[in-house]
This record gives sequence, C-alpha cells and structure tokens, in this order.
Amino acid sequence: MVRRSLAGLIAIGAFLWWSLPPVAHADTNKANVFIETLGSEVIGMLSDPVLSEEDRVAEFRRLLVNGFDLRTIGRFVLGRHWRRATPAERGEFEQLFEDYIVASYAARLGRYQGETLTVGATRDDGNGDKLVGTEIVPREGPAARVEWRVRTIAGNYKIIDVVVEGVSMVITQRSEFASVIQRSGGQVAGLLTELRKRTERR
Amino acid sequence: MGDLTTGFQRTLSAATIVAVLALGACATPPEDTEALEAYREANDPIEPFNRWIFSLNQHLDKLILRPVTLIYRFIPETPRQGVTNFLRNLDSPVILANDIFQGKFRRAGTTAGRFITNSTVGIGGIFDIATNFGLERHSEDFGQTLGYWGVSSGPYLVLPLIGPAPPRDALGRVVDYFLDPISYIADNSERWEWIPPTRVALKAIDFRSRNFDQIDEIERTSIDLYATVRSAYRQSRSDDIRDGAPGPLIPVPQISSDYSDEETAAVDTE
Repeated sequence: MVRRSLAGLIAIGAFLWWSLPPVAHADTNKANVFIETLGSEVIGMLSDPVLSEEDRVAEFRRLLVNGFDLRTIGRFVLGRHWRRATPAERGEFEQLFEDYIVASYAARLGRYQGETLTVGATRDDGNGDKLVGTEIVPREGPAARVEWRVRTIAGNYKIIDVVVEGVSMVITQRSEFASVIQRSGGQVAGLLTELRKRTERR
Repeated sequence: MGDLTTGFQRTLSAATIVAVLALGACATPPEDTEALEAYREANDPIEPFNRWIFSLNQHLDKLILRPVTLIYRFIPETPRQGVTNFLRNLDSPVILANDIFQGKFRRAGTTAGRFITNSTVGIGGIFDIATNFGLERHSEDFGQTLGYWGVSSGPYLVLPLIGPAPPRDALGRVVDYFLDPISYIADNSERWEWIPPTRVALKAIDFRSRNFDQIDEIERTSIDLYATVRSAYRQSRSDDIRDGAPGPLIPVPQISSDYSDEETAAVDTE
C-alpha cells in the first residue's frame, strides 16, 4: 500500500515536472522563435523576385524599425555625447541614424545569394537580455557566427545588438561615432553633418 | 641562419624607425574625465601617426592590392578555393605550435590531423579533406598565445603593409616567423628564396579576394574607417583568444520608455 502511494507520488511529481512550464526556459525559447521568425521574414524579403528595389528598401526599413530598438541602440552608440546634445540635435540624430543604417544596407539587399539562418543556443546575460546564437550559412564556404542581443521592451522582443564573429555592431559604431565627434572638436553637429552626407537621397 | 637574422635585424630597425616617428606624433590626453575615459578605451596614444600609416596602407590597397585582386578574381571559384586551402595548410605548423603553447592538446591533435590528411590525401593541401572528416580549421598565432596567458595587447599600432599590430601581436608575428619551418627552408638555399615573399603576396591577395565585397562595403559606408577598424580589430582579437567562446558583455543601458525623461535615461547604466 505504502509502496503504491509512493509510486503515485512519483507519478504525480513527474507529471507536475513535465506539465509545469519552466519559465526561464520557455522565455529563452521565445527569444529564439523571435529571431527565427524575423530571419525568415528577412530572407523572404531578400529572395522575393517580384519586389522592386524601392519596395525592398522600404520593407527592410519596416523590418528594421519593428525588429530593432533603434532608440536604445542610438543612445548607446552616441554614449556620453547624448547628454550634451541639444533636443534638436537628439531628434535629428535619431532620424539620421535610422536613415544611415538603411542607406548602409540598401546596396546589399539586391545581392542575396541563398544564405540561410540556423538558430542555435540562447544564453542569458544576467541582466534580462537574451543572446540568441545563430549561424548564417552561405551556399558554399564557412558559416558566420552571429549573436543577437534581444531585450523585452514594452512587452515586445527587440534586438539591441548584433555580434558577428565576436564583433559587436553597437560597440564598433559607438567607437566610430565618438571618434568622429572628437575630431570635430567635441561637437555632435560634426557627426550629424557626416550622417547627413551619407543619407542624402539622390 | 644568416639571412634569417638579417631579416630579423631589418624588422628591428624598422621597428626603431616606427618608434621614433611615433614619439613625434603623440596625441595629447584630454583633460575632462569622460573624454579621458574614452581616450583610455581607445588606447591609441600615437593616433596621428597610426592614422598616417593607415591611410598609406589604404592607398597601397587602392593602387596595388585591390586592382591585382580584381584580376585574380577572374580565376574560377574552385581553383581560388584551392589556393586558400593550400595557404592555410602551410600555416598548420605555426598553429600547431601555438595550440601546444596554450596547452590545448585536443586542438593540437586537430591541427596535426588536418596537416597530415590535407598534405597527403588533399594533395599538398589543395583540398581540405580534413574538414569532411570533422577536423575543422581554427587559427592560432603567438599573439593569441600571449593573450591567452594574460598579456594585454598594449597601445594600438598600425604598421606599414601589415596593418593593425599592437606590440603583443607585432611581437607574436616575429615569434611566428621563427616558429615557421618555411622560414628555415628558404634560408638554407637561394633556390627557395622566392617562397616567403610569394607566400606573403598570395596571402594578401587571397585575403582581399575572400573579403572583397565586405571590405569595399565597409569602406563605402564608414564615416571614420580608421576608428571602425581599430574597434573591430580589438574585438576580433579578443574573440580569437577566447576561441569564439562568449566574452564579457558591455551593458547596454536600459532606456526609460518615458521619452521626456532624457536626463536619467541616458545615464541609467547598470
């Protein structure tokens, strides 16, 4: 009798173990799914033969604005200079920064060569951010290791950094922007001028 | 050994010239604390000199390396891959030595296995058969070995033709030269003297070719290419030293969702 109830307890325990969702784990999986979904959307956009170049760029901008938290990224990238910037400069920077990213990638959008995205393990940075490990696999040759730093912002997953083979986009960009500002006498206006030059619509 | 030491002496005197030029081109550290912190992070006390060499290297790329690579790229993909494989196979002894110096015997086994397999079945390294056997390539060099044992890279330094080479990595290159059997083979006979320079040239063309579009793209989109390369080089080397294992993350501050709250938002770092 005792034995039977013990077996019952174990069964119930096992049942609970399996049925209760391990919260952190489920969360991590969702970050995975977010990247996977976004990845297939991007690949869909890149490989769509009907899209005109203009539509492709517009679709890229939409995916960028939805998938990334450009406000967090923009402020991190501007670093200490954000606080010194005037409200007008901040506003202009945010718009130019988005345009600059779009302009930087626009030329590449037409050159999709069948790369695929393989989503691997996800880790936690200890502060609530998730790092989704992926590989971008070309048709031939070695895959590139890409990590996506994902944060929950207002209930939605947003990418706040992309780390390619150990090189973080936001750290590199912050370093670049800091150098541009320093070389224009510490003025954010100097960076804005450079960004404007690169985003002017032809 | 005679030519080897001469070659080394030449490197040394070049280093002296670099050092002397560098002293004349020192940047002055900024005075306010935040700017000083940024200055330390860049760790580039001879930036004006480095920028000068960097732009020299850029010109050499535009005038020589890029055009040569453009022609090289008329060769079909398959033979070019053969060149890549061949050059990589030649690097194996140096990689093996550095695997061992870091006490990574498993990786040393992989490197040795690759070298034996590819040199024989892979016909002198032209075919990378070992990868199909699960022996995947990894890089190592003495700069990484020093880094693995805790030596920091030192201030940023750009060398003519070579590119970014802070003291640790520059010293690493010298040690790797002496670790490389090919340095000795070429040294023993005038017949083989052409090998090291040819190899260096081929390596440059192969590297430029494999990264052709990416390099052009970064040059086109960068606002300050020098600063971009400096930051990316540092991060990439740290990644190499960790063998691609996850590194420490720089906290990206949480931005307050209240858009009007600008002051606290920007300084809200963990």
